Order: sequence, then C-alpha cells, then structure tokens
Amino acid sequence: MRTIALGAFAVLATFACGGNTTGGSSAQAAPADQQVLRINDGTDPNSLDPTQQTYTYEAAVGRLTFQPLLQPNAGLTDVQPAAAQSYDVSSDGLTYTFHLRSDAKWADGKPVVAADWVYGWKHFLNPALAAGYVDPFFDQTIAGGSGYSDVDVKSASAIDSYLNGLGLSAPDDHTFVVKLAAPAGYFKWVASLWVAIPLRKDIVEQAAGGAFPSTDTTKAEAWANDPKTIVGNGMFKISDYTAKDHLTLVPSSSYWGGAPKLQKIIYYFISDGNTAFAKYRTGDLDMLNVPIANVDVVRQDPQLSKQAKLYPKLSTFWMTYNAKETPLDNADVRLALSKSIDRDKLTKDVLKGTDTPIQSFIPKGMNGYDSSLGDPQKFDPAAAKQLLQKAGVTAADLSKFKLLTRDTTGNKTVNQFISQQWQDNLGANIAVDVVDSKTVTSRIRKGQFDIYGPDGWGADYPDQQDWFDIFTSAACHSLNWGCVNMPGYDALVQKADSTKSDSDRNPLYKQAQKQLIDTANVGFIYQQAEYNLIRPYVQNLTITGIDDQYIPGDLYYHDVFISKH
Amino acid sequence: MALPIPSAPLVQQQDWDVPEQVGLWTDVWRRFRRNRLAVAGAVIVVILVLDAVLAGLLVQIGLIQDPIKQHVELSATGPSAAHLLGTDELGRDTLSRLMFGARISLTIGILVQGIYVLIGGTIGLVAGYAGGRVDNLLMRFTDIWFAFPDLLFVLVLVSVFSPSLLSIFVAIGIVNWVGLARLVRGQVLSIKEKEFVESARAVGSSHFKIVLRHLVPNALGPIIVTLTFGIPAAIFLEAALSYIGVGIQPPTPSWGVMIQDGYQAIYAAPSQVLFPGIAIAITMLSFSFIGDGLRDALDPRMRR
Amino acid sequence: MANTAIGGRPARGALPVRRLLAPSSRGAALALFVARRVLWMVPVLFFVILITFTLMHLAPGSPWDKAGGRQLSASIVENLNTRYGLDKPIWQQFLLYLWNVTHFDFGLSYQYQGRTVSALLVSAWPYTATLGVLAFCVIVPAGIGLGVVAALRQNSRIDYIAMGFSTFGASVPNFVVGMLFIIVFGVMLYNITGGNYSLPVSGFGLDDHLIMPVVTLALLPTAFIARLTRASTLDILRQDYVRTAWAKGLSERLVVLKHILKNSLIPIVTALGPTFAFLVTGSVIVETVFVIPGIGRSFVEAVTSRDYPMILATTVLFSVVVAIANLVVDVLYVFIDPRVRLT
Repeated sequence: MRTIALGAFAVLATFACGGNTTGGSSAQAAPADQQVLRINDGTDPNSLDPTQQTYTYEAAVGRLTFQPLLQPNAGLTDVQPAAAQSYDVSSDGLTYTFHLRSDAKWADGKPVVAADWVYGWKHFLNPALAAGYVDPFFDQTIAGGSGYSDVDVKSASAIDSYLNGLGLSAPDDHTFVVKLAAPAGYFKWVASLWVAIPLRKDIVEQAAGGAFPSTDTTKAEAWANDPKTIVGNGMFKISDYTAKDHLTLVPSSSYWGGAPKLQKIIYYFISDGNTAFAKYRTGDLDMLNVPIANVDVVRQDPQLSKQAKLYPKLSTFWMTYNAKETPLDNADVRLALSKSIDRDKLTKDVLKGTDTPIQSFIPKGMNGYDSSLGDPQKFDPAAAKQLLQKAGVTAADLSKFKLLTRDTTGNKTVNQFISQQWQDNLGANIAVDVVDSKTVTSRIRKGQFDIYGPDGWGADYPDQQDWFDIFTSAACHSLNWGCVNMPGYDALVQKADSTKSDSDRNPLYKQAQKQLIDTANVGFIYQQAEYNLIRPYVQNLTITGIDDQYIPGDLYYHDVFISKH
Repeated sequence: MALPIPSAPLVQQQDWDVPEQVGLWTDVWRRFRRNRLAVAGAVIVVILVLDAVLAGLLVQIGLIQDPIKQHVELSATGPSAAHLLGTDELGRDTLSRLMFGARISLTIGILVQGIYVLIGGTIGLVAGYAGGRVDNLLMRFTDIWFAFPDLLFVLVLVSVFSPSLLSIFVAIGIVNWVGLARLVRGQVLSIKEKEFVESARAVGSSHFKIVLRHLVPNALGPIIVTLTFGIPAAIFLEAALSYIGVGIQPPTPSWGVMIQDGYQAIYAAPSQVLFPGIAIAITMLSFSFIGDGLRDALDPRMRR
Repeated sequence: MANTAIGGRPARGALPVRRLLAPSSRGAALALFVARRVLWMVPVLFFVILITFTLMHLAPGSPWDKAGGRQLSASIVENLNTRYGLDKPIWQQFLLYLWNVTHFDFGLSYQYQGRTVSALLVSAWPYTATLGVLAFCVIVPAGIGLGVVAALRQNSRIDYIAMGFSTFGASVPNFVVGMLFIIVFGVMLYNITGGNYSLPVSGFGLDDHLIMPVVTLALLPTAFIARLTRASTLDILRQDYVRTAWAKGLSERLVVLKHILKNSLIPIVTALGPTFAFLVTGSVIVETVFVIPGIGRSFVEAVTSRDYPMILATTVLFSVVVAIANLVVDVLYVFIDPRVRLT
C-alpha cells in the first residue's frame, strides 16, 4: 500500500518538475551587459518589507531581496535548506532547531546571525503592524503566539510582553530555535514562506532615527521606503525603484551561494495586458503571461507559438453557494448547480485551453490530488435535473438568485458563461450581478450574496494543510463565505493538521476532501495554468506550480542566465 | 432696359421690420428642410431610433440573431458569412448586439444632454445674466461640484439606490453638467453687454424675453457643439460605470460596453472595437449635422 | 462705421464707466479681484473636503478588504484601523485631517505602506505635468487653427475633413486610440524594420517615449476645441459688420480676422480652462495604457482601493488646480472682451 502510494507520488512529482526547466547550461552565456531579465510584475508592491507583503506581485520582489530559512524543492515534494543549512525537529515535534549557515551574509557584507532572525520574526509578529500573513500560519503555531489578536496595540509594554513571550530564541549566533505550541507537521513549510525573514536591528533603527517603541509602526517601516536601507539576506538587492513604473534588482555579491548569474532583473509594473503584449513583441520583455484574449494570436503566430508554453499552477477555482439562502442549504441543490457546468467547454473555449477542468479540491501536482474524488460534481445535466426534482426545487425557485461577480474582465466573461450554462441545462435564470471589487468583498464578508465566484485558492506552500482550513466553520465570513454546515469536518481537519507524519495525515485530508466535494460545499470548476511566453535565450529556468503569479521560475533565479542570441 | 432692382440695404431693412414672433417655427422648419446635411442627419437618427425600438421584434421574427446567445467556440472572430460583423469574446453576434446596444446608448447619450441643458444651462444662464454675487456663489458652487471625485459619488449613490438604468442616468447627468454651465455663463457674460441687448433693455423687454430672444440664439453655436460632443462622452461614461457594476449588467449590450470588451481582443479581432466605434461616430455626426442645421435655421441673420 | 461697431463702446453712459476703467485703477481692480478669488478658495476647499470625507466613509467596502483570496482576520483589521486612526469617531478624524492639511500634512497612504501621500504625489506629478503641458501646447494651436480654417471655408472639403477628424477624435475612446497607436507604431513598425526601430511602447522618457501618449492625450480636446472654434467663429462671421468688412477685400480681412479671433475666444477659453486642469492632473487611461508613473491613476486607484488619505489629497489637488484655471479664464475674459464686467 505504502510503496504504491509512494510510487504514484513519485510519478506525480516527476510530472510536476519534468519538462519545466528551460534550456540547459550547455548554451553559451551572453556578455555581462546582456544578462538582464525583464518581466512584467503587473502591480507595484504595496510594501518592500517582505513581512508586510501578502500578494504574489509583492512576494516576487520580497523573495529575491530576502531569503527564508527553508524553501520548497523543485519537485514540491519537500523543503530544502535555504538560509538555514539544516534543521532538527525534537521527538515531541515542539522544538525546531535551525542551524544557520556560517557564511550567510547581508547585502552589505555583514554576517547574518541568529539574533537577526529573532528580531525579524518579532517585527513580523508585532500586532501593531498587523501583517496579513501572521494569522493563522504563525500565531497559531508558535508557542505564545495565540494571543496575537488580543494584544492592546496602543500599549508598548503589552506588545513587548507578547513578543518576548514567543517561543523564539537564539542560543548562539548560528542557531535559531522556534518552539511550537502543539506539533504541526507542516511547520517546515511555514518556515519557507517569504514573510519569515531576518532583519537588521541597527539598520531599522537607524532609518527610524533611533530606537522606537513597538507601538510606532511608521518608524518600524521607515527602512522599507528607500532601496538604500533595504538590506536583505537574499541573492538580489534593489538598485532603483520608480513607483508605478519599474523596479530594478542587481545581484548581492555577498550572497552565500555566490552571486547570481543575472546582472539585472527589471520588474515592470504594466497593468494593461495589451501594452505588456506589445512590449514583448517589440523585444522589450523577456517573459510574459499571455492575456486570454491574445492566446489565439500567439498560437497562430509561427514565431510566438514556439516561445509559449502552458505551466500548471497549484490553484483551484470554484463557485461558492451561500448556505443561508434556501434552497442553497440543500446539498442536492448545490450538487445540481455544480453538475450543470460544462467545464470542458469553459476551459477549452472561454478560457482558450489555458486552464484545466477540475471537480476536486486539491490541484494536480500536489500531494492529495485525486481526480476520482471529483466524480460527484462531474458535468451531467440530466442527473442535475433529477437532483433538483428530488429536492423539490424548481428552476423558478433558483431564478431569484444572482451571481455576484467582481468587476474584472475575466470574471465577467466566465460568469456570463456559467450563468448561461445554468439557463441552458437547468432552465434557471441566475443573472450576473457585477459589483465593484471592494464592495464584493464587503458583501461576502457579511454573507450578502446568493452565489459568488469564481473564487479560488493558490497554494502558499505545497502541503494540504494550507488548503482545508478555508472551509472550517471558524472561517465562515473570512474564507468560507458560504458557511455550509459539514458535520465532523472541523474535527477532521484539526486532527490532520496536528498529526506528525505525512502517511497518517493524508488519509484524513482525503476524507475531508471527499466531504467537501460530496456535499458540494462549493462547485469546483477549473485548475489554473499560466500560458507564458518565454524567450528561448532565457536558460535554466526552474518553474514550479507555486511560482508567483506571472513570474515563472522566481523561486530559483540563482542559476538563470541569458544565452547568446 | 433693365428694371430697377431693389438694392441690398432695402432687403436688410425689411429684415429688421419683420416681427420675430410670427411664423417663427414654420420658418425655422422650412429653412432646416433646405439644409441637406441636416435632413440626412435627422433621417439617420430616425433610423437609429426605429432600430432601438424594433430590435426586439426583429429578433423574434428571425431577421437578426439573438444578441445574448453565446457560441463560445466562435469567440472573437471577424466578419463572416454566419455573423456579418463577427462575434464577441463569448461568440455572440456583433451585428445584433450593435442593434440592441442602440437602446441603451441612444437613450443615455441623448437624454442625458437634456439634463445637462436643464441643470447646467439654467445655472450658467442665471449666473451670467445676474452677475455679481449670484454669479460668484453659483460659480463657487460649481467649483465644489466639479472637484469632488465622481467615481466615489457614483459608488455611494449606487449603494444607497440600487444600480438600475435610472440611477446611472441620474448619475451621469448629475456628474457632468458643469462644463455646459460654465460655457453658457461665458457666452452670456459677453453677449449681455452687446448693443442689441442694451437696446432691448432700453425698450423695456422683460428679462425672460431678453434671455429667450437675444441671448439664447446668439449663444447657441458652442452649446450645440458641447451637447454633440456630450453624446459619445455620455456613452463612454456609461460604459465605464457599467464596468464597475453601476449600470447595465452583462449580457445586456451597449456600444460603450462593446468597445470595452472588444478592447481586450484588439489584437485578435480589431473589428470588435471598430464597429461600435462607427456606430457612435455615425450618431455623433448625425447630431452634428442636425445641430448645425438647427443653428442655421434659428439664426435671424441668415434669413433670406 | 464698421470700426466703431467692432471696437467702440456705446456712447450712452460711457463717461462714468470710462473713468473707472482708467489704466491704473483697472490694474488695481484686477488685483483685488484675483485676491478675493484666492480667498474664496478656502471655503470651497473646506466644502470639497467635507463632502469627499463624507462620501468616503459612506462608500461600501473598507481599505482592508482584499480583492481576492485570503482576507485579513477581524483582529488584524482592528489593529490596522488603530494604526491609521480609523478607530476614532468620524468628526474627530475630520477635524484632525483639517488641522493636518493646514500644516500640509496629508497623511500616509494605505496602499503604499509607510509612504506619505504628499511624497507620492510630488514624485509622480512631474511626469503627468510634462505630458499635460505638452498636450496643451498641441491642442491650442492645432484646435484653434483647424477650427478657424474650417469656419472660414465652411462646407468645403477642408471643413468636412476637419469635421470627420473631430468626430473620430470624439467617438473612439482614448484607450482604443492609444492601443491602435501602439500596435501600428510599436509592433507593426518593429516588424517592418526587422526589429530595428519602433516607438517605445511604454514608460516615460524625454524622447520619443512622449510622442504616442501626448498625441493620444491631445486628440479629443483638439477635436472639441476645433469644433468649438469653428462654431464660435461662424457666429462672429455672420455678424453684419464682419460680412461687410470681409466683402470689402484683403486689407480689411486681416483686421477682421484679428477681431474674429478675439471675439470668438470666449467659449474657447472657457473650455480650455477645465481642459488644462484635467490634462495637468492626468488621464487615468493614457497613464495606464502607456505606463506613465504619474498621478492620473492615483485618482481612480485611490477610490477603488479606498485609500482615504490619497482620495482626499488628490481631490484637494484637483480643486486647487481647477480653481486656479477658472480664475485665469475669468481674468482672460476681461482682457479678451473688455465689455465683460466681473465682480
């Protein structure tokens, strides 16, 4: 049983990483002034402090300027050493001892010591700063962290006593110890997030004009406003930044792994997909995510089609049903709606084959993917109608509902298709209701919607733990918008999260996934992939399913180089 | 031997003797009719209005295709035999969407100008004519109105009242009348000091008559231009607002929304942007001709 | 006879008016007028801020709601509100804001953590202003010139071409025009020259980067000014004294042309005022399509992301620019048409 599971797992792993490395090191490198990689990051980072970054377009910068203790390996099967050269877990699973690299240096040449890690993590966990990624990854795992939301952020002493009570310590310069409140097999992944980085106390305080109380959030962030004071332990450093235009990264010569081959990475912030497309076609971009409307243009172009490739992501999308609106509280009704969407047509025609249909929760390429689990939600209009009949619901009952849609072009297109599908296959007239994005968020938080979508999740790290607490009852109004009642789900997930070994966790997660799909908590529709144009002279790109959106290979830019062309 | 022909000044004198009131509108109509471009414009507008009204009927009798029927396999194509003007991103027939789109676009584009005239025209007229403190207060009021963010105002408006066609109509009208107000005020300020106005005042005409008979006809030219340009502006504003969910919801078509959606596919099928643009241009051009013709017909100096 | 009609004053009641309009006191009257208008900006700004503040807090959605994915938990939202002073009662926030504005402190941006709104606007404005001023320098001569020529040759081929151009400029939204330029002068030109040259597709630079954005920006206003000029000029052309002078011949025509221009300028100047204000505070669309790091986008992004300090600051900036532009327009009225009497 075990061997088979491992074998299947290995096959999946090979699929995930096989064929996702471009070029090869046999190609000749171009001269140094051509070692420039130009990418469209889409939107400016809201902050250049990695601890404050929550969006992928920000993490794309944060990952390069700073480096966490660990990072996912190319196959996404496990973590591998990054800033830490190794780590031990105590037998009770409560103590993680990270052995830091002795040759790790900051971009200004000074050595990285364990005290920097403690300072960095404390800065991140300061409740006054309200960093988006603290909860639940860090405050629910680290010893002493769970009081995060109760700290009085106006009192410096309250904040300090909270921070000092955290299970973070530096017994010596090269050992960083993290104590957990309870065992958590997935903590190694948490430690690989881009937010968990060290910081230089002297630089932060100098930029703030001296020491400052923990309540002063402006001073705590002053260092992040100027590239000159952003000194990281990553392989690149920021050389210049023009807001809304571009950000340039150059190699950090003191990086422990040796300076990267690329001499420059330029992130442009082009929000208009057509402009970015034109920029690529006039030779000014090296990689580009192709907007859906232009996919056929690329496919039909003899030159461009050779540079384009589809890269699956660890992201799944679904339609959310509000269980507080009868008859959506009836699982059969939800199943009927989920079974009336022709996902093949959606992905092939509307999404131009850049995404793949999925009826299950965990995406392909990750541990836990099982397409057979998705059978209950498979497209079957006849069965769907029967389910409605069984539930005693008519199409007219459903026609009072509206499909809440965010005001982006992609969402509008997909939802018009889905609304038409429900009309064609069930006779239900569920009208599209476009609303501006902030208002949508405010409404779903209050449960003021009938059906909402497409909503989705992209893996923060390739472990199932990251996925299942989206649908716990505690997450009702923060992620589990539909608030569907699933008896036993919460306990199941909690048990799985706190189990240590993978082989024991996986069957539990599988059960939870089955429950999600069978009760049609949400209607899963597709798994995302990126259709990216990459110049043939960009060599050694290692692309994984959790790369930041539209930035292929950004977990592994160290060995990338530009070949002669 | 030639008979003596009345000289030009005699004709001009006759002009001033004709009282302006008798048969004004029949005279205007007659002169309008003689202007070929204006008539062409009027005919086109009538056709567009008929199209807007009859579009639904035409679909029912099968003359044009269903504007919301998706053929997703045919996404974003150019003109073809099956779809004369091509298809949009969900494979819907562009020609039928254009014909249906006329309803929203014409309604909003044209009727909103009425709101501008009502609010903006009145305020500008009063401000310019009254002058002094009234002018200052009204202009400072328009400064305030002009400055606060329209997008924010519309979002709040829509959250308080539901996002129906009426609310977007009101929203667009309320938001953009300031330009016309200022223009009218400027015109009135300069015209009211002219000799013929002074003479009218000296003769004892009431303010209302002065405004109607002297100020308005002489200020008409730029006002007509502003209203004509206001039509596409209103159409685009409607599209921009619909984009964020304030206004018509998909799949209802309007020309502005079609251009926005077509913009995404501008590389793949530029015709999707072209055709609605042509429709808007034709509408604007027609109203330009009508406006020019109207102004010429109303101009007392152009009478033969 | 004709000359009196153009440049003269009505004989009746002229004397007392003439004394008031003697040069030195006229200058003083103008200065007083400008000073009073500048003072009026204060109450106007106050009301603009008040209204915007109210609207902001009435708008659904909070700055901390994310566009998608993992939302911030309630406790983090609470801490963020504390951090930015949003937990105080609204009237207190308003008064605090007014107090800060008098010290030119416009607060911290919510979108760009840790950076002050004024720093963001100040660093971004030069890009917008450059484009705006350049576009204005294109609009004024091109628009007025086209309009005058079209009016003088009404119903000729040139008139129809001008009318066609202005219809096109108004019926095609500027994002379409901009992208068509990019496709033709960017991608197509690149392919035709085998990759050797094309106009730069995005970004700001004091070189050929400016061509496409400026032209795109100038297109609609030029079309409008051209048609406005044409209409206004036609109105003047039809006046009796002008027709008479025109018929008299070439030497008269030059004199009349100058007078036509002067008299038709009032509506043109009226339209140019807000046009300048809009140009100088940036076009969202042109800056998005051509990736200009200016302030135009800030106006829209601030509202869509509910960045309250940025919304207020951009609104204040716009009010001031508009007030100044309108002041200039009103002053110009007096110089163009001395008969216009201002308060």
